[in-house]
Amino acid sequence: MKKRILAMLLAVGMILGLAACSNGTQGSGNTPAGNSGTPAPTGNQSGEVTEITLWTYPIGNWGKEAEVNKLTEAFKAETGISVKVEYLAYADGDDKVNSAITAKGAPDLIMEGPERLVANWGANGYMVDLSDMLDDTDKAEINAVNPGTLAACTTADGKVYEYPLVMTAHCMAINLDAFKEAGADQYLDLENHTWTTENFIKAVEALYAHYGETVGAVYCAGQGGDQGTRALVNNLYGGTFTDAGHTTYTWDDPKNIQALELLKGMDGIDFDASLQGGDEIKLFYQGILKMAFCWNIAQQLDPNAAGTGSGKTINGEEIVFMSFPSETGESALQGGIWGFGVFDNGDPAKIEAAKKFIKYMADSEHAVDAVKTANYFPVRSAAEGTDLSTIWADNEIMDQYQVLMPYLGDYYQVTTGWAGARTEWWNMLQEVGRGDDIATAVANHAAAANEAAANASAG
Amino acid sequence: MARQSQPAMSRALQRRENVSGYLFMLPSLIFFAGFVIIPMFICIFLSLTDANMHGSSMFGNFIGFANFVKLFSDKTFLRALWNTFLIVVVSVPTVCIFSLWVSSAIYKMHGAARSFFRIVFYLPVVTGSVAVTVVWKWMYDNYTGIFNYVLKGVGLIDKNINWLGDERFALWCIILILFTTSVGQPIVLYVSALGNVDQSLVEAAQVDGANNFQVFWKIKWPQIMPTTLYILVITTINSFQCFALIQLLTSGGSGTNTVMYYIYFTAFKLTEQAGHFGYANAMGVILALAIAALSALQFRLAKEK
Repeated sequence: MKKRILAMLLAVGMILGLAACSNGTQGSGNTPAGNSGTPAPTGNQSGEVTEITLWTYPIGNWGKEAEVNKLTEAFKAETGISVKVEYLAYADGDDKVNSAITAKGAPDLIMEGPERLVANWGANGYMVDLSDMLDDTDKAEINAVNPGTLAACTTADGKVYEYPLVMTAHCMAINLDAFKEAGADQYLDLENHTWTTENFIKAVEALYAHYGETVGAVYCAGQGGDQGTRALVNNLYGGTFTDAGHTTYTWDDPKNIQALELLKGMDGIDFDASLQGGDEIKLFYQGILKMAFCWNIAQQLDPNAAGTGSGKTINGEEIVFMSFPSETGESALQGGIWGFGVFDNGDPAKIEAAKKFIKYMADSEHAVDAVKTANYFPVRSAAEGTDLSTIWADNEIMDQYQVLMPYLGDYYQVTTGWAGARTEWWNMLQEVGRGDDIATAVANHAAAANEAAANASAG
Repeated sequence: MARQSQPAMSRALQRRENVSGYLFMLPSLIFFAGFVIIPMFICIFLSLTDANMHGSSMFGNFIGFANFVKLFSDKTFLRALWNTFLIVVVSVPTVCIFSLWVSSAIYKMHGAARSFFRIVFYLPVVTGSVAVTVVWKWMYDNYTGIFNYVLKGVGLIDKNINWLGDERFALWCIILILFTTSVGQPIVLYVSALGNVDQSLVEAAQVDGANNFQVFWKIKWPQIMPTTLYILVITTINSFQCFALIQLLTSGGSGTNTVMYYIYFTAFKLTEQAGHFGYANAMGVILALAIAALSALQFRLAKEK
């Protein structure tokens, strides 16, 4: 009998232990760290929301807890709403969000770009339409900077799933000291940060003649930083990636095939299937590669996130940001637009609190701090009377970088089937790199991307 | 009277013992059922549906064997299946043979020496797979890796080899890492098994004139067969489930895609695709069947032996 009672007690104890370890139905997101396991109340007795959750990708310093805490503490002081922040990485952030959505545990707020907020989660019905937050003044302020921004944040049926905060133009970079040593700096327009395809070819020839090894890598180990390889290929001869309506992938454009053939045939340019964008940046920062195709203002301010000085390699060589080479010198750069989206978790009070957070961060005098934390450029000229157009006037690098902003091209990342298309792109580059017939590889993968888009469950 | 009540008492006692036993097993059974049995049935069921993340119902619509039909015309899956079998076929025998060889060499050593070697070979097993992978990635690096540095230094190659970016090498590089992280446990098990071989049989065989090979093959090998079988099965399963190395090193590129990685990629990366959960589950079923078939074959062969 004693044994039986003991067994019962053990079993009950272990079951209770199991239950105690589980998240229950509240989800981990609602349990503040450091408490005894009791889910924190997220609303006071009057039904007012006292806590919301924000998941953010590493968008500048929005990926750094110490910096974000300053913003959220200020928000709490003004509104009484605390913000529990979870920091996502690009490597597995989508997996976490998708798992949370599947488990009905999505955060209240998320910070990222239109390819996720609009074309993916928004199009699949998980997000709240934020169009009521944008009045004519807001739209005018945003359109004054770039008319394409709102379009990228809006679905075809007019629903706004991203309230934009910051933007930048992705570009490439060159090691100016290495270029000078090889006599290749003559091919650069350093004033406008542009160069032509012809000069790009001459520069690579000069660099290869001088160094005798790979000077630039068309990285294709995965999708990381693939905006760089897309922009390089598209700009060399003016090819496109999608149609203007963002319904079809058009990278089987003969101009892209011409560009790939050029790159494949160039001594000094290597299609490297062991590198992704981050790896390429590291090699460029180490001075091994003389140019990087994965670059933007965040890298220019702090190359390789190494904290060793703006615009310098590890050896102190000067890094110059450049637009991608094109036949005319005027390229179409890939843009990055980041902002906030609100998940529809069925709680109107939380949705209102999330909107209050967005209003505070993106459309008030506090937008200055929110934008500066991101280290990118504001998407609007002003926010509730606060001028945002000159917030970087005191930063020489940021100020210089604005020379690239007029080259911002079409924001095509909202095309249906985007995740599948990205996979097809880097797989295609690998095939080109190993010597497969370029036209065939391009045609096969563009067709596969379009087929995947047709089969996409989105929308 | 006392005689008649004896069997009844025993049955009652037996029942109590059984109940106690089952109650002790209950927590484990809950875990086993919750994390193995139930997901297994869900996986089989979902493989017959077009379930996806965005569907209104978690279980999607029943589509019969359409996912399986599609799988066998999916070139990416067939390549992943081929790679997976290649990894298994190469790594399982080499791990077994190498670990048996090392164990045979060290099991008779002095305690401290034997422990030293066991630690050396077991270290990669207890080291985090991410840490191990990062170190290997440095060594394989196309531009600054030690392998290219050494091979160029001794004049074996003129140009750097892109170990992880070249299809001719990438899968073999991954098999090599898998090998180093797989031999630790078999070596420990074999050292233990060889130490437990009945020495009187070994001595008797030697007295009868058996040479070392005959002693090993006729006396030791049959006695360590259960250990060998266990090692074969766990190495086979580990090889089939090779995932972290692929994800961290190549993302399935450079001809290194495996079924396990493709399952993950389809389920969690291609979330826009219609029926992606169902399709990934169908791959999971195929993988489970392959593991089960190979394990059954190994049991059968071991039994015949």
